[in-house]
Amino acid sequence: MLADIVAIQHDHLEALAHDWLAAGATAFCIWDAHNELLARWPLLANGATNGITPALTASVQVGNLTIGALGVSGLDSDRARVRLQAEANLLSQLAHLERDLNSMAAELIDTRDQLLALYNLTEATRHYVGIDETLERLAYETAKLVKAESAFLIVDLPQRPRLKAYYPSKMLDDETLTSCLGMMQASKQPFLSTRDTVSDDPPYRSLLLVPMQVRQSKTAVLGVMNKLGDDFMSPDVKMAKAIADYAGAQIENVLLFQASVEQTKLQTEMELAQQVQLHLLPRKPPHVAGLDLWAATKPASQVGGDFYDFIVTSDQPFAFAIGDISGKGMPAALLMAMTRTVLRTKLNAVPMPSPEDIIGLSNEELYDDFTEVSMFATVCLGQYFSETQTLVYANAGHSPVIYCPAQGKAALLEADGTAMGILPVSFSRNQTIQLHPGDVFLLGTDGLNEATNEQHEMFGYERLLALVAMLADKSAEEIAHGIYTAVREFGTGELQDDQTLLILKCVH
Amino acid sequence: MDEKTNFSFETRAVGNVQVMALAGRFDAYTVEKARGWLEEATADVPAHIVVNLRDVTFVDSTALAALVQGMKRSRQRDGDLRLCQLQQKVRLIFELTRLDRAFEIYTGEDEAIQAFAH
Repeated sequence: MLADIVAIQHDHLEALAHDWLAAGATAFCIWDAHNELLARWPLLANGATNGITPALTASVQVGNLTIGALGVSGLDSDRARVRLQAEANLLSQLAHLERDLNSMAAELIDTRDQLLALYNLTEATRHYVGIDETLERLAYETAKLVKAESAFLIVDLPQRPRLKAYYPSKMLDDETLTSCLGMMQASKQPFLSTRDTVSDDPPYRSLLLVPMQVRQSKTAVLGVMNKLGDDFMSPDVKMAKAIADYAGAQIENVLLFQASVEQTKLQTEMELAQQVQLHLLPRKPPHVAGLDLWAATKPASQVGGDFYDFIVTSDQPFAFAIGDISGKGMPAALLMAMTRTVLRTKLNAVPMPSPEDIIGLSNEELYDDFTEVSMFATVCLGQYFSETQTLVYANAGHSPVIYCPAQGKAALLEADGTAMGILPVSFSRNQTIQLHPGDVFLLGTDGLNEATNEQHEMFGYERLLALVAMLADKSAEEIAHGIYTAVREFGTGELQDDQTLLILKCVH
Repeated sequence: MDEKTNFSFETRAVGNVQVMALAGRFDAYTVEKARGWLEEATADVPAHIVVNLRDVTFVDSTALAALVQGMKRSRQRDGDLRLCQLQQKVRLIFELTRLDRAFEIYTGEDEAIQAFAH
C-alpha cells in the first residue's frame, strides 16, 4: 500500500526530501514493511539499490500495522526527530484514508455486481411456473453467481413431500441435508462451515447455508458448497443472502400460482362433473299411460350425489328410481353415475325382475366398491303397471318416500332395507300400492327435509307431509314447484345439499 | 367445542371397549375428527367400539357413512361398532334409512359396553 502512495505522491515526497537535504541531511529514504527500499534521495545511480544507515527513523502505521518507515541520515537533532515523526504520521494518515477509500470502492463494486447478478437471476427465473424447474434453475444460478462448485435448495412444506433441487447433483446425504434444515430452523442465521465443523468427513471444503423465507414453509434453506479456488468470504455471504431473499419470494409466487391453477382446474372439473351429472338425468319425463310424471333436481353448489331415472322399455313395465349417495364432491358424483348404470343393467339381468330383485342384485354388485370407498347409496326403485294401476317399489334406506291418497292424508313410507353398500345382503322387499286417480306418490331427497333456516331449524318431514297433502290436487309439476318454493322460502337461500323430487300422480 | 355446530368429541376406554361420545351436529363439517378416531380405534383386534350419541342433535349422510365404515371395519376385526343413547330425532334418521337394521343400538352406554362381554 505504501508503494502506491509513494508512487502517487512522489513529487510531494521529493519536495520534503530536498528540504531535508537542504537542512544538512545526507539522505532521506522510504522503506516498506519488509525493509525494501521504496525511494531514496539523493537518487542513486541506475541499478544501485543500497540504502542508508539512518541516524533517525520513524515508522508509518495503519492502526497497529506497520506498513513502512522513513529514515534520515546525517542529522540527529531532537528537532529533526520530531519533524521526521510528524511526516511519518502524515503518511500514516494518508495510508489510512487510502485504505478506507479502497474498501468503499470494493464495496460499491460488490454491490453493483450483486445488483447485476440479481437482475440476471430475476430474468433467468421469472418465466418459470413449475416448482421443480424453478428450484433447479435457482440452484444453477446460485452456484454461478456465488462462484461455487455446487448449490442446493430445500423447502419443507406442511403435508407435502420435501421440495429440493441440487446443482450439478446431490452431494450431501439426506441426513446431512436434514441437519442443515434443522440448523436453519433453529438459528435463522447464515451459517458458514469449514471441513471439520459439520462432520468428520464431509465431501466439501466449505459450506455456506442461508435461510429462505417461504410463506407456509416450516423451513427453507439455500446452500452453496466449495467456492471456486477460494473460501467463502463476507461478500459471498451477502450475495447468498440476497439470492435467498429473491429465491424465497420466487418460490412463494410459483407455489401461489400453482395453488390458484389447481383451484381453477378443480373448479372447472367440478362444473364439468355437474354438467355431466345433470345430463345423465332424464331431460323430461316420459309419457306413461295413466300417470302424470315430473322430476327435477336442484344441485347444491358442490357436486352432489342425488339422481333420478325413468326407464321405459318395450317388454317391461315403466320403471323409475331415485337415489342419494352419501357424501359430496367427485366421489359422490362418480358413484352416482355407477349406481345409475348398475340399476339399469340389473333391470335386464334376469327376465322380468321386480324392484326387490333389482335392488338386491345391484347391492351385491356395488357392495364391495361402496365398502372400499366408505360410502353408501339410498335408493328407491319402483315399477308401474298401467293396466292394473299397480305400483310396486323396493326401498333401500331412502327417505322421504310419501304416499298421499286422493282426499287423504300424506304418509311417510319407511324403508324396510338399509341403503345399498351397507350390508352384503339386501332386506328390501317389494311393496305394492294400488293407485287410484288423484293419488300422489312422491319421492324426494334429504336436501328437502333437511333444509335449514336461520334459526337452525329444519324443514322436516311434518311440514313436507302437510305440504304434499295441501298440493295433492294439483299437477305433478305444480306439486314440485310448490314444494321447491316452500322449501326455498323456509331456508336461508343457500342450498346445502341437492334437492331432488320425483312425483307420480295417478290421473286415470 | 365448535361454536357454530356445538359439536364436541370425547373418547375414553372402558376395559377393552373404546367409547366415543359425540355432541351437537354430526355432519360433513364435523365428521373428520370422529372418522380419524374410528380409523385408529378399529385397527385393534378385536375392535370393540361404542359410539354414544346422547347429545347429538343431527346426523347427516356423510356422518352416517363414517359410522358405517367404522362398523364394517370393526366387524372385519372380530369386533363391532355399537350405538347408544340416540335422541328421538336421531333414532328417526336411523329408522328411516333402516340403519337400525345394520347397527346394534342400545339404550344405555353401560348396556352397550357389557354386551361385548357376551
